[in-house]
Amino acid sequence: RQQLVAPPRSPREATGEMREVVTVQVGGFANFVGSHFWNFQDELLGLADDPAADAAFRTAPLDMDVLYRTGETLQGVSTYCPRLVSVGSRGSLGSLSSSGAPSLSSAASDQLNVTTWSGNVTRSVEKPHGRNLFLQSLTEQEPNPSTSNGGNNSQKSVEDKDLVECLEKDVNFWTDYTKVQYHPQSLYEMYGSWTDFDKFDNFGTAREVVSEWSLMEEMNEKLRFFVEECDHIQGIQFIVDDSGGFSSIAATYLENIADDYTNTPVLLYCVRDPVTHGSSRNQRDTITRSLHDAVSLSKLSSFCSLMVPIGLPSLSQSSLSPFLSIQDAKPFHSSAISAAAIHSVTVPFRLQNAGPASNIAHSSGNIDMRELVHIISDQGRQNMVTALDVAMPAPSLKDGNDLWNMKSLRTLTPEISDEEEDPYSVESLVVHGVLRAGGHRASISQVKDSVYSAYEGRATKPKFSHLSVSPCPLPIPLPFPSIFRSHIGQHGEILSNHAEGTQPKGSLDVESIPMAARLRSSNAVLPFIERRSLSLQKFGVARGSLGTQILRDWGFGREEMEDMSEHLSKMVRAFHPEGGLTSDSD
Amino acid sequence: LGPKGTIKMLVGGAGDIKLTKDGNTLLKEMQIQNPTAIMIARTAVAQDDTSGDGTTSTVLFIGELMKMSERCIEEGTHPRFLVDGFEVAKKATLEFLETFKTPVVIGDQPDREILKMVARTTLRTKLYEGLADQLTDIVVNAVLCIRQSDQPIDLFMVEIMHMRHKFDVDTRLIEGLVLDHGSRHPDMKRRAENCYILTANVSLEYEKSEINAGFFYSNAEQREKMVTAERRQVDERVQKIIELKNKVCAGTDKNFVVINQKGIDPPSLDLLARAGIIALRRAKRRNMERLVLACGGEAINSVEGMTEDCLGWAGLVYEHVLGEEKYTFVENVKNPHSCTILIKGPNDHTIAQIKDAVRDGLRSVKNTVEDEAVVLGAGAFEMAARKHLIDNVKKTVKGRAQLGVGAFADALLVIPKTLAENSGLDTQDVIVSLENEHDRGLVVGLNHNTGEPVDPEMEGIYDNYSVKRQIVNSGPIIASQLLLVDEVIRAGRNMRKPT
Repeated sequence: RQQLVAPPRSPREATGEMREVVTVQVGGFANFVGSHFWNFQDELLGLADDPAADAAFRTAPLDMDVLYRTGETLQGVSTYCPRLVSVGSRGSLGSLSSSGAPSLSSAASDQLNVTTWSGNVTRSVEKPHGRNLFLQSLTEQEPNPSTSNGGNNSQKSVEDKDLVECLEKDVNFWTDYTKVQYHPQSLYEMYGSWTDFDKFDNFGTAREVVSEWSLMEEMNEKLRFFVEECDHIQGIQFIVDDSGGFSSIAATYLENIADDYTNTPVLLYCVRDPVTHGSSRNQRDTITRSLHDAVSLSKLSSFCSLMVPIGLPSLSQSSLSPFLSIQDAKPFHSSAISAAAIHSVTVPFRLQNAGPASNIAHSSGNIDMRELVHIISDQGRQNMVTALDVAMPAPSLKDGNDLWNMKSLRTLTPEISDEEEDPYSVESLVVHGVLRAGGHRASISQVKDSVYSAYEGRATKPKFSHLSVSPCPLPIPLPFPSIFRSHIGQHGEILSNHAEGTQPKGSLDVESIPMAARLRSSNAVLPFIERRSLSLQKFGVARGSLGTQILRDWGFGREEMEDMSEHLSKMVRAFHPEGGLTSDSD
Repeated sequence: LGPKGTIKMLVGGAGDIKLTKDGNTLLKEMQIQNPTAIMIARTAVAQDDTSGDGTTSTVLFIGELMKMSERCIEEGTHPRFLVDGFEVAKKATLEFLETFKTPVVIGDQPDREILKMVARTTLRTKLYEGLADQLTDIVVNAVLCIRQSDQPIDLFMVEIMHMRHKFDVDTRLIEGLVLDHGSRHPDMKRRAENCYILTANVSLEYEKSEINAGFFYSNAEQREKMVTAERRQVDERVQKIIELKNKVCAGTDKNFVVINQKGIDPPSLDLLARAGIIALRRAKRRNMERLVLACGGEAINSVEGMTEDCLGWAGLVYEHVLGEEKYTFVENVKNPHSCTILIKGPNDHTIAQIKDAVRDGLRSVKNTVEDEAVVLGAGAFEMAARKHLIDNVKKTVKGRAQLGVGAFADALLVIPKTLAENSGLDTQDVIVSLENEHDRGLVVGLNHNTGEPVDPEMEGIYDNYSVKRQIVNSGPIIASQLLLVDEVIRAGRNMRKPT
């Protein structure tokens, strides 16, 4: 069996051709995650140009052009914005207007003339959303990057402390903590006529919205704007909040994408806010939830290349809690973890190839999205539902003992088994910014050696694994929540002599974090799929069952129900050796 | 309602501005809590979906029916009688509408004047007169452009594009197409005359296929071979297009434009540019259809067996750049069955409002062509229908259902009343003077400027037949439902009373 082999580089890749990724975010929590994700990118952009920054950010930067585009405003000012389409419900943008600009003051809107009507005008002005301290500081900030030496330093840090505090206390919208300038084409607010977005909690509630032709058309147009200008698109990364109606909107969107951009891979992250896992009030509720999960899995997986469910019912109780102190009730907190993990997964897409000679020093294991999809979903079983594990922070390499601690990877995917030992599993591991003992950045080869020997030490080795390494850690931007436990150091190292029980640390104390993330296709995800497959059969397809009526209300006829059920059974069958394995196992 | 109504400016919490005079838009914007109101609003929006206008009228009419009913119920009438009366009145009104409507002969040469009158009536209720009148010609011409005999009118074949520009009066109709992107190669021409248009859905980019992702090769050399082979396939496709270009254009001053729905990568763009071809990639799907209707030819899915017959034609193709936004105009086409309305406005909310108005205008013209009839506007129909109900229908009904017919008849008056109110006139005066005219056998409506009775036929005020029909139809249905539901609830309450 093949193992631990870096893919051979094609001649085209060796030329260092940039391959674009377009990002799509659909739904409330997906935008919370995205907001953190883009804050990381914005921070990286700043650090790459900052002489005072950690050398890892300057010498081996990630290729930002993969995610960003260069443009120009109508006034001729050049811009550098995320290649992003964000879809949310109306009003979810808070104080940010959908054109990406900060909102107009209400006084300014009073002075607007209506040029198209000569008769009476009435104005109905909603109370403007206040801009919090953090957002105010963004607009006030003059372009003088951190020349923070001497006297004004102390004054500035007091200010920053206030900003961090204000975000901890009061985040209502994902735009409340975003520091990124978005393109006017990026933000889309859905105007569902009768849809009460507060009750937008299952697949069926979005029916009317999806059936409105102009809405899907507008969403398609926004995406087309970004795809059209790509010379070599490598794929679309799609983050959806699949806990409610947005799942249905995303499914329709994905179907259109599959039609329009047939050979473009789509990497789908299904993210969920821990609070959506609340207990059901009655049996009908329980059935509705189960059916929603089953239908979502069936529909979403039909039109993407790889699907990564993220969203533990509780992060505060999870195995991440020894290092992170997360308040489940705050989406500002929980979304930061998903965003960090997604950032790590995108690292290999953006590693720069300076040619075979230099890549030893700077990075290792760059792959594009298509290759990643191929590794994960075609090498072992034909399974495209992937677990995501993360080490946040990733442990340092120990001198002398060069076995990297695989156990430090904790899963973010819900409802999976702890089964580690699957001879048919396929993995892609990304390790970036890892430190050595003593706080120095570990070299690429040190990391590789250490990880390889860790793999060798495992009882059951995966069928295939891919490793990407970069020295560039996860930067912690100012508007990152204060979730680090007190024994996390300034560079994300784990301090041994720490005082117990102090306040969690935030962006003022922690500058960066070494990270590791792993996508894993193994039989650990089987329970996740099986459960959904069973509930669709039990509640939906079986005759006379309670759920049939619910599914009918959602607009699914008998035939479509059976198709969905068959689709899920097929996904389950991929795990059973008699039917699922590919014949060509090297 | 009407040309003297009030425009609403809605400013959201983030400073987003929306301008509307359209009841439909307004209803969609409002957050309605009351379940009865939601029911009425839903009906009204359904009205808009089916016929494109009349939302405000529907809401007003249902509201007025309820108001009239309430009066009767308070005096002790059982809702059932009212509902029965509504049913009779509705049927009679619809029959009356058939005799009252003005037939329009459409045929091969539709009466452009009457289409313009309908469009103008609609547009003037949404935009100021000057702008409305200018758009009137545009929407009528647009619908006539896409109309093909024996086929239903597909308004999607009118592309509505917008561009930011100082003045709203620069809105114009392009007999042809405007695409919101340009070519992606610096050497391609920005303007070309006498162009063959190739509408294609063919991938001209190198895509690694699934088996080519790199893991099944024993060595790099084998892989490289595979990559080269794939690249060659793409190049061959490009070559086929270049061959066709050379065949049709060689020795002439004609040009060749490829508009592709799929991607075109830089090496392919290079080849095309060197051959003097203008190429656009990732055109939107609907534009493929529109292009063929505008320029002729056919949309090809494969480069095999392409001939000159597949090609369309445009006299002029040029690019217009606004900041980072590019527009490609495909104009001077031969026999267009698709066209573009290019809306220009100084800001997003103005553009959005004009766009809404244009959509309504297009619908009204389409309705007229399909209905082959129009109805006199300015409240004339409502006045006449009421008179008919009171004079002729009411007598034929027995018992208390008469009250229902009466309520229905009076509710119709809400339309002229509102028109009068919006113009700042005394509604009672207006209704009385209009009634007098109708009693003398004249069909008149309201002149919103003077408050005097006016002949809508002289003024050219026409409404859509199907819109009116829909209002008369759905209004009483909803009102009846609400009345009866109310009754059920009351019955329930009574039963639970302690005995």
